[in-house]
Amino acid sequence: MSHVQPSALEMASNPLVSIKPIDRALASHRIVQTGLLLTLVWKWTFFVASNQVYHNIPLRDSFFPVWLQSAWTAQLIYLAAVTAVGVSLVTKRNGVRRVCAAAALMCTTILCIHQASYNDMTFVTAWWTCLWTLWFVFHIDDVDQSRVLRRASFLSRSIISVILLGGASGKWTAEYWSGEVFYDIYFVDRDYWVFNLLRENFETEQLRSISMWYSRKVVLVETIAGLGLWALPPRIAAATAIVLLASIALLSNFLLFSVLFALIGLAAVGLFVPRSTEGAV
Amino acid sequence: MQTRHRDKNPRFGQQRDYGMIGIMTLLVLIAAWVLLMPLVPAIAGVTLRRFHLRSNSFVSWAVQFPIPAMYNFANRYEVHPATDSSDPDSNEPVDSDADELVVGERLINHFPVRIFTFADGRHYYLREGEDRWLTVRSSYRGQTLESRFHADPDEAGDGYVLRRLDPPESH
Repeated sequence: MSHVQPSALEMASNPLVSIKPIDRALASHRIVQTGLLLTLVWKWTFFVASNQVYHNIPLRDSFFPVWLQSAWTAQLIYLAAVTAVGVSLVTKRNGVRRVCAAAALMCTTILCIHQASYNDMTFVTAWWTCLWTLWFVFHIDDVDQSRVLRRASFLSRSIISVILLGGASGKWTAEYWSGEVFYDIYFVDRDYWVFNLLRENFETEQLRSISMWYSRKVVLVETIAGLGLWALPPRIAAATAIVLLASIALLSNFLLFSVLFALIGLAAVGLFVPRSTEGAV
Repeated sequence: MQTRHRDKNPRFGQQRDYGMIGIMTLLVLIAAWVLLMPLVPAIAGVTLRRFHLRSNSFVSWAVQFPIPAMYNFANRYEVHPATDSSDPDSNEPVDSDADELVVGERLINHFPVRIFTFADGRHYYLREGEDRWLTVRSSYRGQTLESRFHADPDEAGDGYVLRRLDPPESH
């Protein structure tokens, strides 16, 4: 980190000076790996049960290569991804971090195209976070740490912006503007505190109206954040993204944290950019 | 912490960061793709076929995986069970107008074929080892793609074979 070492006289006169400053780059790496690990294990019990289903009810489909239909492939690759991220979180050797980052990226790539996991957005957000990590571990020791953190933050909020934009553009259609899709997916029978509360207190027609405004809120928030988050200053973008991403899960589906923890970790990188250098990239 | 002088370049002051350039290029391309999707029906069509596992090849489907598509499109599905009157050798679903035969007719967030491929749907609909037919229909700004699938029990009793009743890249 580019900071001036305190002199012996300063350290003698002020004991606080001797406290080692936080290694912002390492802290950023560990926050992101923590988010990534939480993303991968958040639905652990579901994945364990799923694995039994895939072994018990194989589904042969000529669209997928045979090895990408295998329950064993999904199981072993998933465990390898968790291991790689876990090791990357705790190791002190950057060479090991690089190997882990490459391994985790490879594993999440496979999970994104495996028959058993292609549809789970958990692995898409994990893949983008692994890609960011692979870039970051090749810069974590660079001399100009402020520059690395500014770039890391810009990259992370750009990734989050594009992921939100991808969600938004697929909702720019009448069925979302009317609330029809969210009504059927969430409001009819989803067992979650928000929707249980609404069902207990409102009639069907009122629920349809609430669903419409809920849906429009989601479309607008994803659109605005997708188009603008990347352009915000690092700390403001970080705080905005963390609140936004957490609120998506809290107001719709607790399991969505499996998709969002990785992005919340990525967003937090912006909080580590030194205040004095926020403007530059 | 270890430090190195790897990023100094006498000509440019800083070495070009090809990793960052590569990732930003990918992000810009994906942003352009998703922003054009509502304007270019062909892009929406490619994505609809991606959702239905009906791209013209596995490779052309797989390369789209980094494109985020959370809760995209209005995706409907129906699952039809086998009945005593259905021909077990048929690849056609039973009478789809008979409401009492419909196991599910709901909307789903994305990749609707996951009703058969993903764990919860696979367990719910396929655990009994009976024939099942799935119809999925995805709509986006006036464009609709419908696809039909037959989960055919494996003769050796080892799970199912998923048969597509529509060719790839057709509407």
